[in-house]
Amino acid sequence: MNKLGLIIAREYMSIVGRKSFIFMTLGMPLLFIVIMAIPVGFGYLNDKGSTTQLISVVDETGRYAPALHSDEMYTFIIEEDLTASNAHDFYNKAPNGIDAMVIIPSNVDSTGTVDILSKGTITPALVSTVRNFIADTIENAHLASLGIPNLQQMVDKAHVDIDVRSIKLSDEGAQESSTDAAMGLGFMLSFITYMFVLMYGAMIMNSVIEEKTNRIVEVVVSSCRPFQLMLGKIIGVGLVGLTQMAIWVVLLVIIGTVAGGMLGGAAPTDVVSPEAMAAAQETGFMESITRQILSINYVPILVNFVLYFIGGYLLYSSLFAGLGSAVDQASEASQFTTPVIFIMLIAFYAGIACAQNPTGPMAVWCSIIPFTSPVVMMVRLPFGVPTWQLILSLVLLIGTALAITWLAARIYRRGILHYGQKASFKDLFKWMK
Amino acid sequence: MAYLDINNVVKRYEGHTALDGVSMQVEQGCIYGLLGPNGAGKSTLIRIINRILAADEGSVTLNGKPMTDSDITHIGYLPEERGLYKKMKVGDHIVYLGRLKGMSKADAVASMHWWLDRFDLKKWENNKVETLSKGMQQKVQFIGTVIHRPPLLIFDEPFSGFDPVNAEQLKVEILALRDEGSTILFSTHNMASVEEVCQQITLLNHAQVVLTGSVDEVKQQHKKNIIAVQTPDNIEANEALYTLLPPDPVKKQDTRIKLAPGVQVRDAISWLNEHYLLTGFSEVLPSMNEIFIETVKSKNVVSNE
Repeated sequence: MNKLGLIIAREYMSIVGRKSFIFMTLGMPLLFIVIMAIPVGFGYLNDKGSTTQLISVVDETGRYAPALHSDEMYTFIIEEDLTASNAHDFYNKAPNGIDAMVIIPSNVDSTGTVDILSKGTITPALVSTVRNFIADTIENAHLASLGIPNLQQMVDKAHVDIDVRSIKLSDEGAQESSTDAAMGLGFMLSFITYMFVLMYGAMIMNSVIEEKTNRIVEVVVSSCRPFQLMLGKIIGVGLVGLTQMAIWVVLLVIIGTVAGGMLGGAAPTDVVSPEAMAAAQETGFMESITRQILSINYVPILVNFVLYFIGGYLLYSSLFAGLGSAVDQASEASQFTTPVIFIMLIAFYAGIACAQNPTGPMAVWCSIIPFTSPVVMMVRLPFGVPTWQLILSLVLLIGTALAITWLAARIYRRGILHYGQKASFKDLFKWMK
Repeated sequence: MAYLDINNVVKRYEGHTALDGVSMQVEQGCIYGLLGPNGAGKSTLIRIINRILAADEGSVTLNGKPMTDSDITHIGYLPEERGLYKKMKVGDHIVYLGRLKGMSKADAVASMHWWLDRFDLKKWENNKVETLSKGMQQKVQFIGTVIHRPPLLIFDEPFSGFDPVNAEQLKVEILALRDEGSTILFSTHNMASVEEVCQQITLLNHAQVVLTGSVDEVKQQHKKNIIAVQTPDNIEANEALYTLLPPDPVKKQDTRIKLAPGVQVRDAISWLNEHYLLTGFSEVLPSMNEIFIETVKSKNVVSNE
């Protein structure tokens, strides 16, 4: 094995063998699941733990009370003998068993006001339940009172969901294009690039600083060229990142399959639930999304993603390596890393803005400038990018990445042997010469 | 021809010159001391030999050929600023350093076992470096330097951080390596160790060579014609032959005399022998430490003028 291979292997093993790497790799998807599961779990525990509330209903109109259906949370008892005026007295004298009292006055149709009496605090859930039931009933009653036959059906018919399909005209003929899915994909690729460069760039910097503080670096560069050491680090950490991402993808697919199986098994037992109804309505939407996802032309996007990803990673990771070599301790690094992170943030926000208008002037410029192009171009790619822009952007990115690597190597060569007095930006420029 | 020939090497940095025309010849199989105060340019010269830095002018030849990058596999280098990967296992670490110097995996493993055994570190092979004591880490570092049996070894302050027992063991190992044919370049300002192990020295000061030669020659050049005489009698002054010096603060029982210019040792001793009862005498040679301080100080005075 040549020296570069040895250095890559050592760097890779030193990170992958760490306990923190294993925790991080397995912990992230777990954390993800926990974050998703907590609200569901809490909601479930909350509903499960609470006893059914007893609500008495006074309905002066006599028409609306039957609309309040008892369920697990509320049992509605219709008090037929009471009116709004004596309900207060009744409730005051009533035993504590009744949690609240709903009073529907006779003029509810015109005022639209319903009272809820209670001795304790009323939950928002009760208020919304009562409001929704009564409002629906009143609305239906209003429609019915107009006396137009089949009005309900007419209203239902008038309610339409619009599915806008955008058709892209190209040489290959009309093709349904994929606005939502394209935006999602572009944004996902952009985010992956951003996160990867930031996470593993920082990892490279720490590794450089660690070798310097350990004072191992001079021993190593007496056996290999400093450039080999730097490149070995960049490639080694890059492989660590790819390993970590591969594990995450596999874990997410497993979790997704398991979770999907559980949901799929639960659905048929609950056919009439509102969720199932909503799901049925969304079938059309899902079909549209699926159609869109299938219509995206993946091969050029993925090829370009790989190119931009490598270019962006090389550019930023060598910057981090060069800057890391100039400091003695990780805590001193911030003066150099702040500008780099700032540029990356600009790229990230430009990416978000460009997702709205992928052909606007800012999107075009940010996807050509090498420091932002790896993130921004990902957003534009699924919408189609003129070939000349793509080539210009890639040539600039690869050229800049190589130039930065070369300059970073020159800084690195000097920086790793520089101890004591803190290096300034001026020193870095001197070292580049 | 010298094994390692450094010829008129110049290295400049922004604002100062680290090496100003330094030449030095190291013969094969000797231990060569590279001396000098802090900032004299020792480390820069060593880094140039190790090809970590490039010289601005001059040449370095190894075994008669100009050095190239591939020659670094023939060098074992123990830098002054040294350390190890704390999280690596001792065995893996030594093998890694050996393989970086071009050893095959099998050779490196075999050599690692041999050296760990020799330093009594065998049971630590699978422990992480950080679990070892500082002294043991220094030994691991030493093994990492010599594992590939390089013909040229460069030690920069090798004894710093060693306790006397381990320093002695290290010295024995260095001498053994010399006896096996390795050439050793030894940079230090610990003058006692120079006298014990070095045959040749070069003294650098302010980026230039100010003194060079074998340890014996250098001492002869710097002797002050002082003789320590052991006698129960009270020796009196004799202007023609010698002057009396105040007694050495350490060896108070000796009488120290300084010969007058042109007077041979045997003339003075035979005269003294006739007049006093001598139980012994010895010529006082300056220690390397004294020569070092004297040379550096005098040159500083010159350069300040």
